Amino acid sequence: MQKLSEEQLENLAQDLDAIRNEQMADLGQKDADYIRGIIRLHRTLEFGGRALMPLGFIPPFFLAGMTSLGIAKILENMEIGHNVMHGQYDWMNDPELNSQTYEWDTICTADSWKRTHNYEHHTYTNVIGKDRDYGYAVLRLEDETPWKPMHLLQFINFINLSIFFQWGVGVHELEFEKLRSGEVTLREKADLLKDVARKGGRQTFKDYVFYPALTFPVAPVVIAGNFGANLIRNLWASSVIFCGHFTEDAESFTEEECENESSGHWYLRQLTGSSNFTGPNWVYTLSGHLSHQIEHHVFPDIPAYRYREIAPQVQAICEKYGLHYNADSFPRQYATVLKRVAAFSLPDRMRERLFPEFNEDGGEPKLENRGNSTSLVSRLRNRVSSTLSAAA
Amino acid sequence: MQESMNMEKGVDRGQGRSYRGVLARVGPGRDTWRWLGQQLFNRENPAMYFDPLLESINPLWAQRYIPARVEAIESETHDSKTLTLRPARRWGGFRAGQHLNLEVEKDGRWYSRPFSLSCSPSHWEQDGTITVTIKKVADGEITPWLLEHFEPGDVIGISRAYGEDHTPEPGHPMLFVTGGSGITPVLSQLEAMADRHLRNPVTLLYFVRTDADIIGGRKLEALAERLPNLELRIVAAEQDPQNPDHLGPHHLQAVEGLTERDCFLCGPPGLMKHAQNLLADAGVPDEQISSTLFAVGPGVVVTEDAGGTVHFSRSDITVESAGDRRLLEEAEAAGLNPRYGCRMGICHQCACRKKSGIVVNQQTGQPSGHGEETVQLCISVPQGAVELEL
Repeated sequence: MQKLSEEQLENLAQDLDAIRNEQMADLGQKDADYIRGIIRLHRTLEFGGRALMPLGFIPPFFLAGMTSLGIAKILENMEIGHNVMHGQYDWMNDPELNSQTYEWDTICTADSWKRTHNYEHHTYTNVIGKDRDYGYAVLRLEDETPWKPMHLLQFINFINLSIFFQWGVGVHELEFEKLRSGEVTLREKADLLKDVARKGGRQTFKDYVFYPALTFPVAPVVIAGNFGANLIRNLWASSVIFCGHFTEDAESFTEEECENESSGHWYLRQLTGSSNFTGPNWVYTLSGHLSHQIEHHVFPDIPAYRYREIAPQVQAICEKYGLHYNADSFPRQYATVLKRVAAFSLPDRMRERLFPEFNEDGGEPKLENRGNSTSLVSRLRNRVSSTLSAAA
Repeated sequence: MQESMNMEKGVDRGQGRSYRGVLARVGPGRDTWRWLGQQLFNRENPAMYFDPLLESINPLWAQRYIPARVEAIESETHDSKTLTLRPARRWGGFRAGQHLNLEVEKDGRWYSRPFSLSCSPSHWEQDGTITVTIKKVADGEITPWLLEHFEPGDVIGISRAYGEDHTPEPGHPMLFVTGGSGITPVLSQLEAMADRHLRNPVTLLYFVRTDADIIGGRKLEALAERLPNLELRIVAAEQDPQNPDHLGPHHLQAVEGLTERDCFLCGPPGLMKHAQNLLADAGVPDEQISSTLFAVGPGVVVTEDAGGTVHFSRSDITVESAGDRRLLEEAEAAGLNPRYGCRMGICHQCACRKKSGIVVNQQTGQPSGHGEETVQLCISVPQGAVELEL
């Protein structure tokens, strides 16, 4: 990982605290108006989408209804739910926007989310073995985890995780890998299992029983439209989240590196373990401002739309300490995510040669590799790289 | 001596006329709504889900709180005003001497502050309006803003009425001892007496600083007309600074048949305590004395130093904090087991409802307000007495 001296870490913490305090002192009507505006937009899109859906036997209506409901779910999950549960709006003292009582429109219960995401992921960001969000226990994304042949097929996991993302997040805390290894028993997870069933049942009932039944003659159309809306949300949410920590330059950490860490070291880890993507403002809003994952990880409880204006300050701080500020366009960042998933699906020796950019030395070209361009591995590597850049 | 500080449910008067009452009788029951709200909107009250849209169409349709339209604003004194409000019809009504909270958003933050109703219940029953009299608390967070900010036509949030029912009964002679804005619930009680044509002998001892501080002067004059047995004694205690006339035994001695009277005290804590002692000395039985602390504001003691008494209300444990430990540690030391996560202010797992008191966020150094709000236990220390819902 990128290192700083103790003194630098202390200064880094001071610099970032200063931004934080300035923002916290400035909270007010502007923030309340912003989030209420988003909520109004969400309600309009949701009711609009659900109203259009029964007319879905006419293709343009189907498309409009599905997209409207899909965007509504995206806004609710990412710009409202995720951010409210971080406590970004607790200061408003509005019972509808309270981190302790808010329940969101997805399978995962708010309580489970706050344990695994707010606490585990945000405290132990990218620490292998402690942050289960790093690869969601189904992807191998670094060489700390020993390679096994099943990792060769992890692209299937990746695709499944993207498509069924809300279910993956919903059962995340069940810790299947620990159940399988016997580290925890099903009995210990009984309450959680009940919660998953209750909330999952609720979400399924709403989209696949209640609203279709309400529009009985066209129920199949409504079921299809609701499925499409959930799919849109799942694909977008997973892509945004993958771009936040799984990009090529986002670092992961070992438990030893983080023992008894100072607040400066925690800040350093957030800065180097996260990555941003750039785009127009509406993309930022649709990502719940997780486009600014770096700012979000440094300041998880500042209203997220402020990350846009804080970003240049955070970038300047990174430059001051010689830290890499990992930001690029969405397609480019996503391409490096795919590259990482591909790279670490391979055995280490093969990966080191095919994807030297993931090596400890950052893939500095080695002399012996030069002039070896006709070897099978090199040709393979060139092909993978060019395909990925073309996709980007 | 009874104190009406505890919250009670509002009275259900006027409910039957509302569409909700009708719906509850013919439509699905409350449990069904709640279940459906959970299924469709992940909320117990499905109506709240529609608030953002309803509010933008008509602010009086909001379900999250009870909206009331400001009909008129009248100055009482240089630092107090009476607001005439028209609550949404679903508001439950009130009894004489009760209180309500005004729920307002200032600078994006929601505040809830208690005030006494200063009119009789017949106002609400006859023309659907109520009055609330607000006195500016010097250096207050909300009252100065409240008095400046609102204009007729605006919408303000109110809670249901709560507090002890002080509807006057016929027969008993009565004595009211009030000070400052403590007059407001008494105005409601006296007006209710007049509405019910009661003939009880009533003495009102009303202490103000100077003649310019009399709240409800016009109303009291009108009441004196309607209540022939009302004896009005307004004492401007500091009118003559050389010769102050604060509450003393001589005021009570002048009250005819004192020991027979039902006494009601409302005013600043010092005055109430003093009145209580004087009444006891004069031989008034304890059960004839009732009081309310409400009209005088929250009564916060602001201290500069960290530390104070921390009351965990759910477990009913009280500890003294020296201010050198975070609230999470104080709770754990007291044998409680609150939920926590990072213990460094990141994850909000230990966020907890603070009912009252000021806490200081040690990361930002910012003190909180004194009202009810959510605070992070792991980075907060008390500053003065604090009550936590734990």
